[in-house]
Amino acid sequence: MTDPVRQPNTPLRRLGLISSGLFLLLGIIFFLALIWGSSGAKPLQVISTLLGKDSSVAGTIIWQIRFPRAMLAALVGAALGLGGLVFQALLRNPLAEPYILGISGGAAVGAISGMILGLSLCPGVAGLAFAGSMATLGLVLFISSGRKTLQETGLLLAGVMINAFCSSIIMFLISIVQTDRLHNVLYWLMGDLSGASQLQALSLLALLVPCFVFVFFMARPMNLLLMGRETAKSLGVRVTATTLALLTATSLMVSATVALSGLVGFVGLVIPHILRLLLGPDHRVLVPGCVLTGAAFLTGCDLLARTLPTQGEMPVGVVTALIGAPVFIILLYRSTT
Amino acid sequence: MIHTIIGDDLQLAHSGQQALNGVSLQVEQGEFFAIIGPNGSGKTTLLRSLAGTAAPDRGTIRILGQNIEDYSRRDLARKMALVPQLPDQDFTFTVREVVLMGRSPHLGLLRMESRRDHDIARRSMEATRIEHLADRRMHQLSGGEKQRVMIARALTQDPAIMLLDEPTSSLDLAHQIRLMDLLERLKKELEITVVMVAHDLNLAALYGDRLLLLRDGRADQTGPPSEVLTFDNLERAFGCVLLVDESPVDGLPRVNIIPGRHLDRD
Amino acid sequence: MRWRKAAAKTLLFAGCLLLLTLPSRAYTAKQLTDQTGRQVRVSASPQRVVSLAPSLTECVFALQREDRLAGVSANSDYPPAASELPNVGTYVAPDLEKIVSLEPDLCLATRDGNPISLVRRLEKLGVPVFALDPRDLDGVFDSLRLLGRILEADKEAEKLVLDLEERIDRVQQRVAQAEHRPRVFYQIGTSPIVSAGSDTFIHELIRMAGGTNLAAGPKQYPRYSREEVLVLDPEVIIVSSMTENRELTHKVRRMWSEFPGIEAVRSDRIHTVNADCLNRASPSLVRGLEILAHLLYPGLFRQKNLPECP
Repeated sequence: MTDPVRQPNTPLRRLGLISSGLFLLLGIIFFLALIWGSSGAKPLQVISTLLGKDSSVAGTIIWQIRFPRAMLAALVGAALGLGGLVFQALLRNPLAEPYILGISGGAAVGAISGMILGLSLCPGVAGLAFAGSMATLGLVLFISSGRKTLQETGLLLAGVMINAFCSSIIMFLISIVQTDRLHNVLYWLMGDLSGASQLQALSLLALLVPCFVFVFFMARPMNLLLMGRETAKSLGVRVTATTLALLTATSLMVSATVALSGLVGFVGLVIPHILRLLLGPDHRVLVPGCVLTGAAFLTGCDLLARTLPTQGEMPVGVVTALIGAPVFIILLYRSTT
Repeated sequence: MIHTIIGDDLQLAHSGQQALNGVSLQVEQGEFFAIIGPNGSGKTTLLRSLAGTAAPDRGTIRILGQNIEDYSRRDLARKMALVPQLPDQDFTFTVREVVLMGRSPHLGLLRMESRRDHDIARRSMEATRIEHLADRRMHQLSGGEKQRVMIARALTQDPAIMLLDEPTSSLDLAHQIRLMDLLERLKKELEITVVMVAHDLNLAALYGDRLLLLRDGRADQTGPPSEVLTFDNLERAFGCVLLVDESPVDGLPRVNIIPGRHLDRD
Repeated sequence: MRWRKAAAKTLLFAGCLLLLTLPSRAYTAKQLTDQTGRQVRVSASPQRVVSLAPSLTECVFALQREDRLAGVSANSDYPPAASELPNVGTYVAPDLEKIVSLEPDLCLATRDGNPISLVRRLEKLGVPVFALDPRDLDGVFDSLRLLGRILEADKEAEKLVLDLEERIDRVQQRVAQAEHRPRVFYQIGTSPIVSAGSDTFIHELIRMAGGTNLAAGPKQYPRYSREEVLVLDPEVIIVSSMTENRELTHKVRRMWSEFPGIEAVRSDRIHTVNADCLNRASPSLVRGLEILAHLLYPGLFRQKNLPECP
């Protein structure tokens, strides 16, 4: 029989240990992302810039170009990791990912339309992407509402259908877009963090932090929701209200990231699964875990995406898939044997 | 006599059909109340209404003297625990974690479990004899073990009322009896009111203080086993011939199935 | 004695004046309007210029100011010396970090392709960006003159423009003699088949070379099905290629060989021309004009002088 004296502290201490470790990992990767870039490695300049003493060109590059980009990558990664976790809990489906409720379809239609119209990336294209994703989300909620309000299957089906419908619209738009704009469109569809600016990073931070805090508060209800709607209700969870609130907050979070960075696949699907395999199913640990791991993962992938190729950049979505899939398969294999 | 649960003229339509067609019932404090009836008679729907997880279209329910709609979900969860029929999903939680979930209505959103909560969980696991499984993950357990975990979880809620939906359906004989004995003990020692949907008429007869026989969404008979379990009532409700006699154990009614081959004679 | 003192004072005064003018010349910035209507503050003598499009690189070289270039867009391949210069990324996705690391005092951009968000970010980082947007040959001449002003190459710009205009006149005079304007179909790609409408350089060049662009119309890059091309019945098909691409030529010939109903197929007048001379907004356009004229009127031009691109 386990020692009752030890038990009360273990979950809290575990949470603290894991969070600190992941935060350290994020810090290291973030630092590396400041050091490396397409114009060479600048380790010493990073330190002097962070201390506020470097106003040379290197300082400008680090502070105005690399820093916002690393921040954007961290925020987008955190939002996607958390978004995947929440949708997997709400929909009780391990294949759920942040774009599943029509968000990617609507955002892409909006963004590509903006690019065809020749709007600038921010606020034009970003605004249309955000509007598009909110519109499709509303449509999904409307379709799946009714007597069985917000039932998981209904939501999933509606989301998949809307995304498929939007895919055909996207194909059509791609076929008519001018060849010189095609490059931008394709890069957006595969994830593009190159337009990061300080303003974008700060606005996203302001929007995301309240969402992260809110979802953390909802960690216990999410645990209970996983046991089934009925059980959750009988344990005191207001299922419909909680589901709606989580859906809204998460969709807002994910839409904001899509508007700024395009569609970055794989993060939201794989990070929650990896963390569940490593840390267990308790959302009180998984929420901060997904936020920090998602941030570290995408910052690292973006660093690779812009430094590996000898010329130009790879789309970051390619890197997330190339790294995420094998890691996930290895972990899955080891957990089942 | 304090009525712990009062249901008055409950009506509920479900998928186009009238699952409950005006059911009224009263459950006394500390009694073992069994709901029986054929499939489709509305047993589970009735239990869900009483648990507050399915709202009736018409009719009122009063729990411990207060209208169920006037309870917040959390307050209701502190008074009443539900053990649903199907063991619900997510099997990667450990047994201890699932049992501790029963403390959620008392803890709210953020408070971590205290030593007292862990003690309560431990005692529930002891009562249901699963303390040796505490650190196993749910998917590693058998159906019966999972069922006992759910009951332990319900116990941890520290409820005044426990609602169970066919809790013995996946258990073998020994565990069935143990479970029913446990419920009886809880009733006697902790004065918990037990409302159970029963599939097995004999278990209902041996353990139930009062029975409610449902037919087509209506309350056909209510009362002690000897009054409800009669040949006429059962044939009318279940549509088959059943022989009711006295159990040699304690004189309570015993329901016997008659295979078709014997029917020609009588 | 006194006149020596006076002379010395005068010399000193003149020297001071001279000294005063020198720094002021270096620090005088010009406020210019670029070709997209923006007001740009350009220093009097930019020394570290980054070109964000191959066409602009070519123009700078043509004005003999290549020593001022600190970096060029990828695919800046003409003249060949341009490919030796530091590469700042493609013109649709220039690398901001690389540009900034070259410490430019001026960036040359083109509205047709360079992303506006990048231009804005460069300006926020203190780098002036001068945008060019030539829509036709006259626009290209304006670009050259503007670039001449910025890069202190006014004389070279004037001479260049005169030169180019002369070559254009020569072509136009020659083709004015012809009685029949051949029907030309300019083809980009095989699936889908894309041609060039009225708002392109190619259209202008075809017209000036004495041909009729069959794809003339409001759509800049209209698409055609093979049926539609059959109906148009071009006498000459000009295929655009990125480099001297023999495979593409074969592919196109094979595609059209099934339709001997098209006159260009019957008279075997399917030609491949390097696209760099037909739609790059630079002096190469005039070379492209000469090539087109030779192809459209082989009788009027001596065959052995067929110009090449580049």
